[in-house]
Amino acid sequence: MTRALTGFTALAGAVLFLAACVTSAPVEEADLVVEEAEVEVLAPVLDVTVHEGDFARIEQFTTPGGISVWLVNEPSIPIVSFQAAWPGGSASDPAGLEGLNTAMIYQMNEGAGALPALEFQKAMESLNMSFGCSSARDWTSCSASMLRENADEAMALVALAMSEPRFDEGPFERFKRESEVSLAQRETNPRFLANEAMEAALYPDHAYAREMTAESLAAITRDMLAAQKDAIMVKDGMLVTAVGAISPEDFAPLIDAALTGLPAMGLHDVPGPLELGAPVADPIVRDLPQPQSLISFSAPGLQRDHPDFFTAYVLNYTFGGGGFESRLMEELRVERGLTYGIGTWLSYGGELAAWSGRSQTKNESAGEFLTVLKGLMSEIAETGITEQELADAKSYLTGAYPLAFDSNSAIAGNMMDVRQDGLSVDYFDRRNALVNAVTLEDVNRVAGEYLKPENFTFVVVGEPEGLE
Amino acid sequence: MLKRLIGATCAVALIGGAALADSAGEAWAPETFSLENGMEVVVLPDHRAPVVTHMVWYRVGAVDELPGKSGIAHLFEHVMFQETDDLAPGELDEIVQRNGGQLNAFTSWDYTAYYERVAKDRLELMMTIEADRMRDLVVNDDPEGPFISERDVVKEERRQRIENNPGAILFEQVMGELYPDHPYGIPVIGHMDEVAALTPEDGLHFYNTWYSPDQAILVVAGDVTAEDVRPMAERTYGVLAPTGTDTRPERGWGEVAELAESKTLTHTDPKVRQPEWDRYYLSTSFIQDDELAYALQVGLDVMGGGQTSLLYQSLVEDQQVAVSASSWGWMTLHDRAPAGFSAIPAPDVLLDDLEAAFMAEVEAILAEGLSEEDVERSRNSLAAASIYGRDSQSGMANLYGRSLATGASIQDVLDYPERVKAVTAEDATAALRAVFGPDKNYINGRLLPAEETFQ
Repeated sequence: MTRALTGFTALAGAVLFLAACVTSAPVEEADLVVEEAEVEVLAPVLDVTVHEGDFARIEQFTTPGGISVWLVNEPSIPIVSFQAAWPGGSASDPAGLEGLNTAMIYQMNEGAGALPALEFQKAMESLNMSFGCSSARDWTSCSASMLRENADEAMALVALAMSEPRFDEGPFERFKRESEVSLAQRETNPRFLANEAMEAALYPDHAYAREMTAESLAAITRDMLAAQKDAIMVKDGMLVTAVGAISPEDFAPLIDAALTGLPAMGLHDVPGPLELGAPVADPIVRDLPQPQSLISFSAPGLQRDHPDFFTAYVLNYTFGGGGFESRLMEELRVERGLTYGIGTWLSYGGELAAWSGRSQTKNESAGEFLTVLKGLMSEIAETGITEQELADAKSYLTGAYPLAFDSNSAIAGNMMDVRQDGLSVDYFDRRNALVNAVTLEDVNRVAGEYLKPENFTFVVVGEPEGLE
Repeated sequence: MLKRLIGATCAVALIGGAALADSAGEAWAPETFSLENGMEVVVLPDHRAPVVTHMVWYRVGAVDELPGKSGIAHLFEHVMFQETDDLAPGELDEIVQRNGGQLNAFTSWDYTAYYERVAKDRLELMMTIEADRMRDLVVNDDPEGPFISERDVVKEERRQRIENNPGAILFEQVMGELYPDHPYGIPVIGHMDEVAALTPEDGLHFYNTWYSPDQAILVVAGDVTAEDVRPMAERTYGVLAPTGTDTRPERGWGEVAELAESKTLTHTDPKVRQPEWDRYYLSTSFIQDDELAYALQVGLDVMGGGQTSLLYQSLVEDQQVAVSASSWGWMTLHDRAPAGFSAIPAPDVLLDDLEAAFMAEVEAILAEGLSEEDVERSRNSLAAASIYGRDSQSGMANLYGRSLATGASIQDVLDYPERVKAVTAEDATAALRAVFGPDKNYINGRLLPAEETFQ
């Protein structure tokens, strides 16, 4: 739903990770060197602009088919990852058809051309590749990972999926059965209940508050899927990034084969402006029979292009984003032993800008937890942070930045974020200077403006005790 | 956030390290050496970014806890972040994060590991800190002090991971039945009443018994070479003499008894909206029987490893009695590991009917055997996963650290793709029959809504 801008990722409480292994298939040991040489002879001359960045060497080019691509050619591992993204996601589902975009992307790897779902999946395994699409709130994406040695065949399969998805009855009915199960499961999912309560409190009538329901699921029919794809997956606004052991000259024709057949333009709903409602003074409680309460809190935040955005970003480290170096963690976990962890983050993008956080504490201490939390908010809003805290935040945020570029998949994700946020290709190089330019005066002004407890709405899911 | 994760041994395939040649034409390989005090060192070169993942793995885990002291391995891992003779409370996190580092740790039945991810020019500082707490940790014995508040944190962690989660509650009960006389039957995070009674003395005893350089493995992955790492490791860890060698007991691993009988455990919970079914058998591990483990890994993948698998195609696609159906095994554990089946019924399908359909399909698969075509696709997939695995620096550090800490060798990891490719359809079928045959006992776990009926 939201993108978290924090150095520390909150962690689900799963006790045992039983994910099926995403495996991909046979290795045909082709001679890579010869293959590359052949392609280079035939490839058209591309106009490639190279950005020699501090964290990545980004090659920007437009394919002969007119698709703008950012590529990092990283030869050390013989793999290639490819991603395309389109504006418009689940929040663009028409009212009453919530879940439509999810139903569409579900079937993008469930059969194409002459290959029904099982044959398509087996073909992917035989190529040792993966391909699939996803629907976020404001964006729809597809991504593929492949071995360099059979990238041609892998991208041909992607091209088949992009141009001739079958949208068969079998996978569609399976999607419906799976969705019915997840609709049941979410009824007792504390995070879902907390989000739902927060949305109902702060923006009940906005598209961002709409979720798939049994009724909307029943209203979605298979014949809507092809039209939905043509409304979203279009050339207008499409963003493409790639990272891996491949040159622009080799990759451009494969990308063209996959994507130039898409419609030029498409029409989909665009969520309107979102005006946050007034904060709710008393904690909103959702009952759930469990020993520990989930505490979720949210206040107005800042969009990515707000002049104070970086100030808030740096402040968030000291507030609740900096793990054990944050004030909330220090007091609520280390000093008081009230929780296993707490984190805060800035959400931005689309129409919503929020400053949010989440933690869990035993039901008996929920009242104490909220009192202490609000006290910490008041303190940081009224007296700000210290010069040392600001220096520590900058030191971590700038020093840890290279860690975000340690894998092909991380670089691919970062490049797509930059493109989706409409930032320039030198953003990675400028980013640490933006952090370092933040002043204590601005941090403390922003703290006073945004982190007052009365800005926040609190949702508690569980059987909390001691709330007033 | 969330330092001090617990055990969660991943059921995913052991991802082999290198094997297939790079496009550059040079085989990638780890570098390894030992310090004079017995500490093993593994260097995993990855020169894509100027960063490193620095890990210290200790050959100690929850299997080594004394009776009645469940949870001490994990709680002690938390205490390792508190203070040393040189570092005041909180200073360790502060130094690492001021240097742009990320740090955390995790505890399993078989091992405990600590790590920092950081720019490569800070590597020696990380080593200095890890060496300091390997030798000079201060366990605060104030009965109201930081040991106790960390114990409260772990109790919250237990509520968050287990007690809020009906599936996790059932899993604990199943493991207790599967391993009645083996430490895998005791949760890594510990039983709540035993955790609540742990003392600073327990922590100090655990530290003095197990935390010593000859019990540790250093793994450094990233933009370094063994030549870079060796002098730093010698200056930091190399100066520590081994301790506790006279009094240290054998590791708590041991024989796992066959199940005396099959059982069904049912956990009903008002939070359950969707019933789930799992069945657990005792299988093997790569350490106990590598031939069987490789064959089983391929067999499990063909039988229930994903959407193209036999179980999924039959139960989800054809019969439509389930929305998920899979088979799995955690053969990266040191001792005999669980392997088994999981399924979630389709709407309106009763759990009993699902179980009957599922086991009929298993019986049919075992009777017929696996096809050569399916097995070939699977073993190639598993082998190729090792190429994709190299994209993650921390994943590689984890793979090698975990393998060495549980008694495998670097060569074992490197051989993974070739070993898995050598599995035949007959091997894979025989492995499935050996583990899931009709003569084998099992534990069924059934997760149900609290109401008498559902729907």
